[in-house]
Amino acid sequence: MTRDSEIADRLRSYSSGGTVALRLSSQEYADNYLSALGLTVRDLGGESNTHTIYVSVTNPASLVWSLLQALDIPSGRVSFVDAISHLMMSFQNVLPNASYVESPTMLEGIMLRIEYLLRKHPSQRNMVIVDSVNSLAVHNSPEVLSEFFHILVNNLKTRSVLTVLFTTSDAEGSDLDRILSLVVDESFSLGGGT
Amino acid sequence: MSGSRSGPVPTAEAAQDSRCVTGIEGLDNILGGGVPRGNMVLIAGGVGTGKTTLCLEFLVRGAEKNEKGLFISVTEASTKLLQNFATFEFFRPELVQHDMITIVDLPIIYDRLGLNREELKPGEVDILVRTIQDLVRESGARRVVIDSLTSVGFRVRSEEKARDFILKLGQAFSELGTTSLMVAEVGAVPGVHSLYGVEEAIVDGVVLLSNVRRRGDMLRVLQIIKMRGTVHSRAQYVIELTPIGMLLAPFLKGGRLETS
Repeated sequence: MTRDSEIADRLRSYSSGGTVALRLSSQEYADNYLSALGLTVRDLGGESNTHTIYVSVTNPASLVWSLLQALDIPSGRVSFVDAISHLMMSFQNVLPNASYVESPTMLEGIMLRIEYLLRKHPSQRNMVIVDSVNSLAVHNSPEVLSEFFHILVNNLKTRSVLTVLFTTSDAEGSDLDRILSLVVDESFSLGGGT
Repeated sequence: MSGSRSGPVPTAEAAQDSRCVTGIEGLDNILGGGVPRGNMVLIAGGVGTGKTTLCLEFLVRGAEKNEKGLFISVTEASTKLLQNFATFEFFRPELVQHDMITIVDLPIIYDRLGLNREELKPGEVDILVRTIQDLVRESGARRVVIDSLTSVGFRVRSEEKARDFILKLGQAFSELGTTSLMVAEVGAVPGVHSLYGVEEAIVDGVVLLSNVRRRGDMLRVLQIIKMRGTVHSRAQYVIELTPIGMLLAPFLKGGRLETS
């Protein structure tokens, strides 16, 4: 059994909700990122009756969408909450399955768009991916970010939603570690690290 | 001790009926289950804060539960209102076609009653209250919206007449068992929720909608200032007006605030 399939099985074990951190090493980040997409959107999201809400803070949703298509990852049941395109003035390619938040500092807006998509696409199993915790930390103070994750994660957990938080392990500081330790049930490292 | 209680214990059904469930899930949660039935509630806020949308959803969710609603429009023609309402997925035109929601233009009522003067006399205030009461009775409405009380206030033109109008209207609605939302347009003066300042003291509840600026972001925020007959949250909530209805999320307190 490979490391990736082990992680995939662990992720599947959170069928009644939970919060998992996928720590991506910055060394060979691109490969690790593709592995993370494969483990989540392809392996879990591709299963029947699963709807994925992808919160994109690092890259515009259109870029992630293109990547999923280029990798032949089934993306029919993926919706996006894009919190970066407005800020980057990047609106060349507006996706019909994306909901745009004006700024990554509008954390309540991200919560509300997730809520909207959960109601709009009722599904037996839902997964919310936040890409990434580090990008959110660039725009928000640790205090407000901690409050945000505490509310978001607990709300999603009560609704049996699996939340997957992408983080860059090498860039984590003590504040991020503290936030993650409060909300995460289990962490997995991709591409080395602990 | 339970043995010392006198009188019948209210059933869950009776307790539920004592509440007018708005159908806006987040709002009902912070109100402890809904607006106490028969309450007159001021929906106060500046422009673009979602007052009319909240009121519309209140009527639509009521109609879905077989409670008829009456929307008294003072500032906007009903045809234009309906065009705006059609942009919401939760609104279905057949609710209006089947008289589950009745929309009335108050300026037309003014004309029919001959109340064409810019300022209403005290006797004419009584006529207006009776006419609104008749409209509620005829439509069978259990939920009423007046959008806006401020516009009626401009015609009433004095604090005393405004107080008189609201007191009489509240009494009329209370007799009919109607729960009502009164829209009040307010500016940026903190602590002022109505045109004359007396309205908020008379009504049973005040829901404040405002635009709050945080680090350059503009957030729509809802707060229950008062609500007689229930224990309620006094915290601020960020709202989003989505096609499927109003959604609420807790306001995060990490940032500095400037109210506009």
